[in-house]
Amino acid sequence: MNFDAVPFPVLYSFILWAIVIGSATSIVLVISLMATIVSVGVRGPLVFANELGAMVGDLISLSPRRIFALAQLTFREAIRRKALMVFVVFAILFMFAGWFMSSSNLAPEFQVKIYVSFVLRAISWLILPVVLLLACWGIPEDIRLRSMHTVVTKPARRLELVIGRMVGYSFVGLIVLAVMSVVGWGWINRQLPVAAQSQLVCRQPIEGGLTFLDREGNPSEKGINVGDIRMFHSFIEGATKARAIWTFNGVGDQSLDREGNLLLENRFQAFRSHKGDMRRSIYFQYTFVNPETNVRVPYPLKTIDEGRGRTDRINRTLVNVGESADGKKYDIVNDLVTKSGQLTVEVACVDPGQYLGMARPDLFVRTADLPFAYGYFKAVACIGMMMLLVIFMGVSVSTFVKGPVATFLVFSVVMVSYTARDFMGKIVGDPFVLAKAREWSGQLDMQKLEGGGVLESIYRILWHMNPTTDLPVGASTTIMKWIDAGLVNFLWLVYRVIPNLDYFGQSMQYVANGFDVRFDACVLPCILTTLAYFGPCVLLGYFALRVRELEAK
Amino acid sequence: MNNLTSQQRKFVYLGAILLLLIPIIWLGMPADGTPDSGGTISRLRQQLDLGESDLGDLDPSGAAMNLALLGLRGVAANILWMQADEQKNYKDWAELRVTTESIIRLQPHYVKVWEYNGWNLAFNVSAEWDAVPDRYFWVKEGGKFLQRGVERNRRSPDLKWHVGRVYGPKIGLSDEARFFRRYFYQDPDPQYAKGPDPEFNNAGEDNYLAAKRWFQVANDAEKEQRQSIMDRSIFRSYPARSQLDYAAALYKYGFREEYDREVGDRKLTDEEAKALEIRVREKLKEQTRQAWALGLEDWTIRYGQELFAVEYLPGIIVQMRLEMGEDEIRSLGKSPDGIAQLRRAVDQYQKMNNYRYWRTRALCESEPETAEAHWALFAAGEEYRKQSPAARTFAEQSMALFEKTLEKYPELRDEDNFVEEALTSVLVWSLYMRLEGEKPPEMYPLKSLWEEKQERVPEIERRFERDSRAAY
Repeated sequence: MNFDAVPFPVLYSFILWAIVIGSATSIVLVISLMATIVSVGVRGPLVFANELGAMVGDLISLSPRRIFALAQLTFREAIRRKALMVFVVFAILFMFAGWFMSSSNLAPEFQVKIYVSFVLRAISWLILPVVLLLACWGIPEDIRLRSMHTVVTKPARRLELVIGRMVGYSFVGLIVLAVMSVVGWGWINRQLPVAAQSQLVCRQPIEGGLTFLDREGNPSEKGINVGDIRMFHSFIEGATKARAIWTFNGVGDQSLDREGNLLLENRFQAFRSHKGDMRRSIYFQYTFVNPETNVRVPYPLKTIDEGRGRTDRINRTLVNVGESADGKKYDIVNDLVTKSGQLTVEVACVDPGQYLGMARPDLFVRTADLPFAYGYFKAVACIGMMMLLVIFMGVSVSTFVKGPVATFLVFSVVMVSYTARDFMGKIVGDPFVLAKAREWSGQLDMQKLEGGGVLESIYRILWHMNPTTDLPVGASTTIMKWIDAGLVNFLWLVYRVIPNLDYFGQSMQYVANGFDVRFDACVLPCILTTLAYFGPCVLLGYFALRVRELEAK
Repeated sequence: MNNLTSQQRKFVYLGAILLLLIPIIWLGMPADGTPDSGGTISRLRQQLDLGESDLGDLDPSGAAMNLALLGLRGVAANILWMQADEQKNYKDWAELRVTTESIIRLQPHYVKVWEYNGWNLAFNVSAEWDAVPDRYFWVKEGGKFLQRGVERNRRSPDLKWHVGRVYGPKIGLSDEARFFRRYFYQDPDPQYAKGPDPEFNNAGEDNYLAAKRWFQVANDAEKEQRQSIMDRSIFRSYPARSQLDYAAALYKYGFREEYDREVGDRKLTDEEAKALEIRVREKLKEQTRQAWALGLEDWTIRYGQELFAVEYLPGIIVQMRLEMGEDEIRSLGKSPDGIAQLRRAVDQYQKMNNYRYWRTRALCESEPETAEAHWALFAAGEEYRKQSPAARTFAEQSMALFEKTLEKYPELRDEDNFVEEALTSVLVWSLYMRLEGEKPPEMYPLKSLWEEKQERVPEIERRFERDSRAAY
């Protein structure tokens, strides 16, 4: 996998969420209060309090029955609007998809990747525009046709209307998604070349932590950079003391296969500083280490299989045949795994002058594979979460702007999230985005984007000052920095309001690369992100519907 | 606003629509297949060869995709290009391959797109893999991709030249050349059962001969449409150069390739192996000589007699040939100034294309004695590896023959390849003498060259030892 999956920081994210919601709500409330005071004068605060009370009243008197009725109405309306026509496009796409697929000469694992990526991408690309249009046009159309009046004059509350819409569209979307995903799954199984069928699995890796030793044998955070644009992989030099050391937790009998072998799978890369022996790939060696007993058992040399990866089936009984060969037999689980279930594996590059590249996910203990469908439907579930998120945002936004504007707005938010969120994150100093940028650039000490905010950047451009040159001390610099700080703070809020869609996309990568979708690093963040937007979207929609004039088309 | 009723307005709209349709139909009338048929647009398309089918084969799926995108083809293509770049950075080759396919469906007649992506696959992606068979796979992918580009853009000489470059220099001059050349007729992919990949080497020929064919096709296309890669005189030299490269590769790799091809999966006795070695050497001796002879013909007659337009005086363009004699220069140059300018132009073009070097080399190599010298040197090296006394005999034979060649072509004294081979023959001879504990005699062939080029000996010795160790 070409990204490092780390557990989602639930607490940190929750605190951030609370801050953003708190800040945004406070801003809305303050503006509303001021607007009320301006429009009705000294009675303003009282009117505002009454209104607030009524809103809280609406909140606590929600009726599931009414919501369900509104959801049913929304569902029927969506069907009437020919939402299910998306199946026709889907069918056409899959009928002719074979034309666009790559040649069957590619390696089986590549073919799996291509087919699975295609299906999951096709599903998300087809379903998202449909739900976006449905969600963004429903309420504005109701208002335009005045059918909204017949609803709001009934006991149904506006809050229920918003929730009902969201539930109804979600229901339509989920049905479409379910049908598409089942058809897609069947299509992959039927269409994939026979030679590649065996690669249709769902690996369950035990991933470890990775540290390095440099060529002198000193601990190091990273290996050598061999000039890759993306510094995700670090390299160790061959025939030196350089090592990559993985520490796997939770290794025991349950981690072995049925025959009692430990399956170690790697995706190492090679970098040759000279051509060397071209008849074979670069040699590497595993050494199993028990730090508690200082037992070191080297494993015979192996060559890497770059681009595909290799799985080594390591017998649980190892014979020490290394330099310090004592000829003794060691049991991996009993002798090499520590009491706390930790297995340490050192990797060395053997060929002098050659380099072995790796990142943390590039070596893992492969436990029993799960059926492909397991990971596939998890990925589909993540697409479903994204679909719900779009519905929530679409319905919410459509309560205060017209259909086309709502569609454009939500579409823009999604696009900004995909294309510019990381850039914004670097400006506002998001630690996770900075960590990703460090991984790209290899600069471990990388901090916030240099060069300051908008005004400072303009100033530096005009005066030909590079980002590291100090600005002249003075009042104008202070004012400039002060304004920039305000703008960056505002950008921080905008940045935090835009959803992070990385996790939804990662779910596809897991399955396409033959891995199970990790719950803590992918499914959970998808669920939490969706949930995090549900409440605020409902409240925003409700608030907007409550304060807007329904007669205004 | 106005006094027209709704119905009247509709009639006005209809009238306007019909009025606009008249020029559209008149301009866009389809052709019936005969020359100058159809409307103005159709006639212009025929005259300027701008029709899709004039450019190359049609791709229904790509055309459908373009239509489905309405006017967003440019946007979609840009997004795909960005994706391809990111996938390259992520070393996500499977996805890159698919994205490349999508790009060319959107931009099927944009020659640079084919060039860039073909190069990317054959040179950049290939180099990212460690195993040589994997590298070869991506070279093939690049080559096949470019060939598909040729099908879509039949008139482009550039793409045809790029295909030739993959077949020729990429396969034949890479560090992995000895592997790539073998894979070319014996693909490492098990599905081809030790035969060539029919999509890449249908005729089972040598990579340089395949390259020559493609360069020739590029030259033919270049007569119709200008190429945009390099100076025309260099561009047109490639078919002949490929023939010369083919001959040189036969010396370098031919023996092992031919020997292994003959052996196949058989187990040979020592006697059989010896007999086969001799037979292969004899066969290649003649084959390489003929290859050089054909190379000489290609270089001096086909390529050397080609006409190139040169501005030899300001504003005056003359057709010159690389193989132009002094008499011809005099008759064309007319004035003393013109003669001098033309002579200089011919000289410059000859230098630019290394014309004289290749002419001399091909001439020399196509002579039986030079061929004999090369193969005697090759045999000396092989025998030296076996520590056989025949090494000395073969080395002495090659030394004598090289000296004879040097006497005939003294300009080869400063030619790198020739000097290297001549010195190697002396080196093998002296190494064997050292092995036997003998001292070199006072006089021996190539002595003056050996003493003159002493600074090159350590490098040649290193190379000889490395090649001796290298297994095939």
